[in-house]
Amino acid sequence: MARPHIEPYVELNQPFKKLDLNGFKGSEYKVLSLDVDTGACTLKVQFKNGFKRNPGLSYSDMELFVLEGRVKVGKETWGRGHYAFIPAGMAIGAMSSAQGAEVLLMFNDSEPSFYESDKNHQLALTQAHVSMNSYLDAPWTSGAIVQPAASNGCMIKLLHYDPLSEAITFLYTLTPEFMQDNISYHDCCEESYHIWGTSWMMQFGDLPTGGYFWRPPYINHGSFRSKRGCIAFGRTDSKIHNYFHFNPWSSQAENMARSAAHLYRQRPMMYDWVASDGHNHPHGPEDFEHAHYHDDAQIRHLHGHPPSPIKSK
Amino acid sequence: MAKRVQDKKPKRSKSAMAWLEENIAEQKLRYKAIVKEMDELAPTRARWYKEFLEICQTRGTNVTGDMRRKIAKHEVPKKPKRKDRVVY
Repeated sequence: MARPHIEPYVELNQPFKKLDLNGFKGSEYKVLSLDVDTGACTLKVQFKNGFKRNPGLSYSDMELFVLEGRVKVGKETWGRGHYAFIPAGMAIGAMSSAQGAEVLLMFNDSEPSFYESDKNHQLALTQAHVSMNSYLDAPWTSGAIVQPAASNGCMIKLLHYDPLSEAITFLYTLTPEFMQDNISYHDCCEESYHIWGTSWMMQFGDLPTGGYFWRPPYINHGSFRSKRGCIAFGRTDSKIHNYFHFNPWSSQAENMARSAAHLYRQRPMMYDWVASDGHNHPHGPEDFEHAHYHDDAQIRHLHGHPPSPIKSK
Repeated sequence: MAKRVQDKKPKRSKSAMAWLEENIAEQKLRYKAIVKEMDELAPTRARWYKEFLEICQTRGTNVTGDMRRKIAKHEVPKKPKRKDRVVY
């Protein structure tokens, strides 16, 4: 079942626990979400004063975002806002934190793992490595990276893009008095951690500083508000498309069918090819918003169907 | 571009297995607590839905970006008989 729907979860009042796994001794953690099949996880980790470990690698893609403090990694020092994507098998330098640090630490393929090594694994895709300070080295840009788009007032900094899945990692901010009056869902999982500030969504209420969610696909969220603004760290696990609507009661299954109906209308050749291979809805899936779209002349045309006959009076 | 390193990973250790079991169990409890909290929010949420649908008819709903469309009364969705669910 992968990761369950964790939303909303405010971790600030939860205790840290000792992380006694190899390579993490001297640190503490909280689980924000965990894939029950693979062990992939998002953790909030505190490297305690004096934390040290030798160079090494993980057999999972790893992402790290520094919330507070500093971590020395090889010759680099990662401070507040530093983001790193470390591909599976890529060795990183010795890590240490003299004064301690607090980070978001994500393992995308398995539970946390560490193996001492000063050499990359021969199969490591090291070209995917990213190491940057997101606060200093990345510009804010419009949140309208896809259409339909979020309202103005949502800005993002793109930190990582996976060319195969189109998964993205990003910082986002909502300006004070941000509002967006629609309900959204996506084909992808979506994850967020509020670094500072509060946002509000109609289904879940306020998400304050330290608020987190891992949301599986096709789940309604929004409308949206932020009274005083917020800044957050976000990720998707594949391509994001905003499906907007205004039915607060639509279910996850109905949203999924509606997305398939979008595919039927907007990428007809692809839909036909996919639908012809076994399972199918030859006349298009159900769409709770446009119940009779199957009869639309343009939609029929897209799928090579003849126009509806003109009925004589 | 295919990921191959992951296929070569060593067998999961006993300590990693124990870590997973402990944290999966805790996550189940966390999930239950979230569902309970969200169920308790239902009366407030019902009021938020009502306000939202009023806004959609007066100021409009965001279609894309800041482009809005006012929805007509006959377009307003009806509450189904099933229980409203927000956590899946």
